[in-house]
Amino acid sequence: MSPARRSGGAICARPEPPDDQPTPSVGPRQWLPGPPAARVRGLSKTYRRTVALDSVDLDVPTGSVLGLLGPNGSGKTTMLRLLLGLSRPSGGSVELLGQPMPRAAGRALPHVGALVEEPGFIPHLSGRHNLTRCAAAEPLLATSAIPDAVETALRRVGLASAAAADRPYRTYSLGMKQRLGLAAVVLAPRKLVVLDEPTNGLDPAGTRDVRRLIAELHASGATVLLSSHLLTEVEETCTHVAVLTTGSVVATGELAELLEADGPALQIHTSQPNAALAALRAARIPGYAERGLVVADLSDTPPELVLSALVHAGVPVAEARRRRTGLEELFVQLTEDGA
Amino acid sequence: MTVPADRATRDTTRDTAAPAAAPGAPAPDAPVQATSCPGDRAPSVAAGLTGRRSAPLPRLLRSELRFGLAGPRTLITLAVLSLIPLLIGIGVTARGPAGDALAAAPGPGPGLIAAITGNGLMLPISALRVTLFLLMPLGVSIAAADALAGEAAHGSLRGLLLAPIGRGRLVAVKAFGVLAVAVLEVAVVTVLGLVAGLTFVGGGGQLLTLSGTSVGFGDAMARIGVAAGWALLQVAAVGAVALAVSALTEHPLVVPATVLGAAIVFGVLNVIPSLGWLRPVLLTSGWSSVTDLLRDPVPTDGLTHSALLAAAYLVLGLAVAVAGTLRREA
Repeated sequence: MSPARRSGGAICARPEPPDDQPTPSVGPRQWLPGPPAARVRGLSKTYRRTVALDSVDLDVPTGSVLGLLGPNGSGKTTMLRLLLGLSRPSGGSVELLGQPMPRAAGRALPHVGALVEEPGFIPHLSGRHNLTRCAAAEPLLATSAIPDAVETALRRVGLASAAAADRPYRTYSLGMKQRLGLAAVVLAPRKLVVLDEPTNGLDPAGTRDVRRLIAELHASGATVLLSSHLLTEVEETCTHVAVLTTGSVVATGELAELLEADGPALQIHTSQPNAALAALRAARIPGYAERGLVVADLSDTPPELVLSALVHAGVPVAEARRRRTGLEELFVQLTEDGA
Repeated sequence: MTVPADRATRDTTRDTAAPAAAPGAPAPDAPVQATSCPGDRAPSVAAGLTGRRSAPLPRLLRSELRFGLAGPRTLITLAVLSLIPLLIGIGVTARGPAGDALAAAPGPGPGLIAAITGNGLMLPISALRVTLFLLMPLGVSIAAADALAGEAAHGSLRGLLLAPIGRGRLVAVKAFGVLAVAVLEVAVVTVLGLVAGLTFVGGGGQLLTLSGTSVGFGDAMARIGVAAGWALLQVAAVGAVALAVSALTEHPLVVPATVLGAAIVFGVLNVIPSLGWLRPVLLTSGWSSVTDLLRDPVPTDGLTHSALLAAAYLVLGLAVAVAGTLRREA
């Protein structure tokens, strides 16, 4: 369980396409080899004396859904703002869809839909008028296509009813504001979608809708980059993860690889951990104690052998269960190691 | 919730999108263009897709007028401004002996208003002068405050920059919106001043000048036109300075506060004798020269100087607004 081993095995922010990797991951690969949708090198951002980002490298593979995880204040939003050219880096470089940012923002951004920080709209305008205003600024939309694009976008986020779309934005609930922000993201066809805590303020039904929307965008070929502090959300929606702590990326990679980085193990609840460890040693099974549990390494040993060794040695086994490294566990390890 | 029609139009979209993107496409070695990006298969809204890198400017300007300008604040500003010529007209018509005493009093204020009596064509120019000192700068600085600082405070500026509207273009669109407010302000005051002057006050189609001569209707209208154009330049200059402040702050209220504060400070500097050398560069010190248009013959020095000064403020304000917006962290 050494952090070095974890991050050493996990880092895969490397230029070669993922297909060169020796171990195939579970499920079909949905992302393409080739240039990443976003590439960040040595990116730093300093606000006066506060270092928000410290020399970050990150690739967002084209076709992936990458979850940017990190505790509050770890630099997630700063990173997204720099990616989108809203803010200028203090050092390093950003490429978005192959275009240097913020210099070539005009080339990249028409193909990028983004919801960063809280959604921002004019309070006295209705949702529909706000969206029409956004659509007027979208380079890819022909003028004649704007009304249809607005209606389609409102429908996709569940705001199409007149009661919702024609009310002034300032009367919207937090969830409706978030939905309108997402509607602006899907106004035009996108190659890359950037979402900053997209389920913020949404009820369970809204959260489900957002997940469906992300899945739709992904299925249509868009790369999705989302930041979140909700680990279950990332676990359910993302193909890739990058973990950010105090301005540095401490791990990036495919979600499946990150979660398997520790290898299989069996967690054993017992009232006599020392006896259990002795029994494992006698049976030449690698094991160690961790947080009151005995963990037996299953890399070379089937679980049946572990259990029979323990039971024959007279160790009382209250419960034995396959360890599954949840993202939450991984996240806590990584962020606490970094701190 | 992919609409089936999207699937049907997908191929045609790809066919039409590719050549459309060609003129604006980056160098052929650019990675995104070199590989087939899966985003090309994204469902299109309809066939209405362009390969543009920025939305057409007329569309942005229309949108700014429709959604940026038609806000409640602009309407309130215009409503208040429209009251001024009407109040002057009614007040002049209804005045009694006390008003006669006012008319005899020296000084530009009451004397100018009193001179309108029976002289309706003087009303628009007087109304322009009265509103230029506070109300029109206030109105235009509120519009400028909404334009950049207000959008930043609402977070909607991010949306525009991400669309993307280039930052230079953004300032152009916003300056256009502020100019539109200035035009509306001056038009409301001038037109209602003319209406109030002709209906309430009358004057037989002649303008009795402050010099005592009388000029015909056509000449009077020309003078009113010059006054309106000159006032528009002054208000636009204030608007440009307000837009510059708006580009530098996150707090919309800072903008009208700065403009009004500057107007007061300028007024104070204007009356300090030892600072008389500052007077030629103070925008507000030339504002009373609009009444020169009520003299015969018209002395043009003051009007010309204040117009050139306003043009200088206009250029400087826009330059700072562009620089501030380019540097802005949105």
